[in-house]
Amino acid sequence: MTKSEDFERWGGAAGWTSGNDLTPMQTLMWRSEQHPVQSSTSTVIIDLDRAPDWKRFVAATEWGTGLVRRLRQRVVDPVVPTAAPTWADDPTFDLGYHLRREQVSSREEMLAQAAQIALRPFDRSRPLWEGVLFEGLPDGAAYVLKIHHALADPLGTVQLLSMLQSGKRAHTARKPVGEEVAAPAAADPVDLAVSGLRTDVATLPEAALSTLRGLGLAATRPQAVLASTLRYGASVRRLVSQAAPPSPELSPRTGRMWSFLTLDAPLEQLRAVARQGGGTLDDAAVALVLGGLRRYHERRDGPVREIPVGVRVSLDRADDLGNRFAGAIISGPLAIEDPVDRVAAVRGEVLSLHTERALEVLDAAAPLLNRMPAFVGAGALRTAAVPDAFVLTLPGPPRKRFMAGAEVQGMYVLGPLPGAALTVCLVTVGDTACIGVNVDASAVADLRDLEECLVEGVEEMVSAG
Amino acid sequence: MSGLSDEVLAAIDAIEAGPQGPTVGAFFDLDGTLVAGYTAATFYGDRLKGRDVSPAEFLRTVVTAVDGELGGDPTRIAHVAFSAMRGESEEAFADLGERLFRSKIAGTIRRESRALVMAHQRAGHTVAVASAATSYQIAPVARDLGVEHLVCTRLVVEDGQFTGATDGPMLWGRHKASGVRAFAREHGLDLSTSYAYGNGYEDVAFLSSVGHPTALNPHRDLRSAAARLGWPVLDLSDPVGGSLIAAGRTAAALAGMNTGVVAGLSYGLLRGDLKEGRNAAIKLATSLPMSLAGVTLNVLNRERLWTHRPAIFVANHQSALDIPVLGNLLERDFTIVAKKEARWDPRTFVGSVVIDPAYIDRGDSESARATLDGVAERIRSGTSLMIFPEGTRSATPVLGPFRKGAFHLAAQAGVPVVPVVLRNTGELMRRSSFVLNPGVVDVCVLEPETDWNTDDMSERIAALHTKFEETLARWPG
Repeated sequence: MTKSEDFERWGGAAGWTSGNDLTPMQTLMWRSEQHPVQSSTSTVIIDLDRAPDWKRFVAATEWGTGLVRRLRQRVVDPVVPTAAPTWADDPTFDLGYHLRREQVSSREEMLAQAAQIALRPFDRSRPLWEGVLFEGLPDGAAYVLKIHHALADPLGTVQLLSMLQSGKRAHTARKPVGEEVAAPAAADPVDLAVSGLRTDVATLPEAALSTLRGLGLAATRPQAVLASTLRYGASVRRLVSQAAPPSPELSPRTGRMWSFLTLDAPLEQLRAVARQGGGTLDDAAVALVLGGLRRYHERRDGPVREIPVGVRVSLDRADDLGNRFAGAIISGPLAIEDPVDRVAAVRGEVLSLHTERALEVLDAAAPLLNRMPAFVGAGALRTAAVPDAFVLTLPGPPRKRFMAGAEVQGMYVLGPLPGAALTVCLVTVGDTACIGVNVDASAVADLRDLEECLVEGVEEMVSAG
Repeated sequence: MSGLSDEVLAAIDAIEAGPQGPTVGAFFDLDGTLVAGYTAATFYGDRLKGRDVSPAEFLRTVVTAVDGELGGDPTRIAHVAFSAMRGESEEAFADLGERLFRSKIAGTIRRESRALVMAHQRAGHTVAVASAATSYQIAPVARDLGVEHLVCTRLVVEDGQFTGATDGPMLWGRHKASGVRAFAREHGLDLSTSYAYGNGYEDVAFLSSVGHPTALNPHRDLRSAAARLGWPVLDLSDPVGGSLIAAGRTAAALAGMNTGVVAGLSYGLLRGDLKEGRNAAIKLATSLPMSLAGVTLNVLNRERLWTHRPAIFVANHQSALDIPVLGNLLERDFTIVAKKEARWDPRTFVGSVVIDPAYIDRGDSESARATLDGVAERIRSGTSLMIFPEGTRSATPVLGPFRKGAFHLAAQAGVPVVPVVLRNTGELMRRSSFVLNPGVVDVCVLEPETDWNTDDMSERIAALHTKFEETLARWPG
């Protein structure tokens, strides 16, 4: 039973790589990247119940990179930004460069090393991932996978990993392999730029015509166009300016000192609290982080009532299941003690974003920004207001999974810190919520205190559920 | 014909089918939800008229309002207004609220919102008005709707004067939502089965606090959010405002009334029969103007208007339109009792020449009694009487208490009482308005009641009052 499920999933993984060009948003992030301050790197830490057999682990990874072609491809950028960057097979791909193993003696040591791995910039001329298997931990092993946003966003990374893992401990012989796709015509930066320019020239009359049409519309219905422009502008202004001011207790941020924490919570109780507050698991995750930060501010006598929190909003539906998402900032209530009431307040803030017509403003602007020099795009990303914390919820594997014979016991995503003091990702793994927290150590006066407060925040939510 | 849209009827059915009792809350926003338009604008308009506003304050208000529209803080406008009220007397402001309610705001209460409020009240739900407005704007509306609870912005009052500050946050956006949740905790409500109705884009948090949110006549951004969130949207009809066309029709109607009177009386003079002439004049004077103004009647149990004559016809009173409507219904052989002051009211003046009302001087009970004796005599000799037992027009469709005069007359003259329930005349012609809007007036004639005497009169009047209320709440048919 698990075997047929595995085959189906692996088939999906093979088809996971789609489209050769980067999307406008990926392009924007790729071109404006300044690691680690404006980083697009996510790190996944997978707790394993035992150290897998190294040979089998390497073979499995080899197989995985064959199945998911993108893991052997690199990004080729045109010399001038007339076209989107594209994926091309890396002729020099060498698994040994991307995968290695190390010995550690404690989980703390592993977390510290993982943070160091995450902070090192990628070689942008190679496939954008790096995996390290940590052995020697008292209760098993840990696999740390660092992956670039252009290859997969955190959601995609978790999906990909869940797809590649196996439903059983034993080895599966004759696993499906990816079709030997002819490598895309050797992509050359100059050729790319030229062909992009050619496309531009070809589509120029059409673009000019649609611009003219737009101007004509504006001329015949100036009031309607003006009104709708003003409304859009007002919405942008609200999105950028109306969240709470940043907390003084979470500064100064340099973005150069990452510190990783991991927490666990039973999913059942978290979902129960979410239900009581009329919200979703995402709302409960935000409420949990706010509960921890409330305690931290209380301990430090910081009288802060609201902090800006970055959340992900579905552009399609309210239940966070759509295909199109936008990042937005809400005022996270820090003064509400009751966890259920906090969930309800977060719910209200998140749903209120749905009245903002400019929610997808960065998505809309990305194609235009991409034609500008890289620093313009970087500037645009920076001016997007910066929250104190990002909170993200990701669906992981619903059942027990194995990697080369070792059971997956937890899967934590540690996101980048693009200006925030904390990035928190909650991944659902079986019946557990695996919470990964990346903290800007320069912004937090006492990391131990913060960790304790976050643990208490988890307990508070769980006991309310 | 119930006068409610199918969507509203379906919403009311759902309320009736859902859980009942006081643990279910029903929260109504005020501006744009219960009433059409903004009560704050009515208050501010009054300040402007009273020249209470300096040019500097006016400019600041306009700039703040525009900034709020353009993505600035929309609550700042209210704080500008509140701080301008520093030093004003709370009592005077509350009186102003009552006055503006009677003259302006009462007429903007949506009929279908009222029906929704009443549906929740019938279900025993805990009904509250939840609004960023102050209690001075809300309280008269809430009282009229029979709503006890207010969740609203409170102003600080010291020694009877406003300090210009608010007590706690202004209940706008997230603060309204948390106010509603706190109210629910205090009153032991179950929010997951509760209802909320709002219209503004800032109402999303408020609406999402309950299990049954409804976007009611929503602002464009709330409408798109509701579509995305899968929330039901209800579009209620607004109370009819006076339009230029309506004003023109009213003028034509008045002309028609006069023409009718003159024609009828001329006819009577020619025939040498003043009574017949009067009847013709009534018929012409009431049907001509109504058809000219585009008003039609929809009458239930019309036959009861004829089975018990002579009789005393009692009706509820909301509008100057009630008199021509009843005149049109009764057609012939009737008169009215009116207060002395109404004799010179231009809206009823022409008609009153024809029907020869019995004017009562309320200030002089001796003369009033003498007049009434004469009236009883007139009734016995065949002229029916039409009377409004509420005594005065109500500002809203809420029924006022009944005075006993009409029923004493019935006992004295030994004639039956025929109850006539009128609906939406107040909407077609607002209290203290001269403009008549086109539309349909619903009329329901209740079972005539005979054998009036002083022994059980109070009980019977109370019972009849209840029948009026029930008919207005649940229109038969």
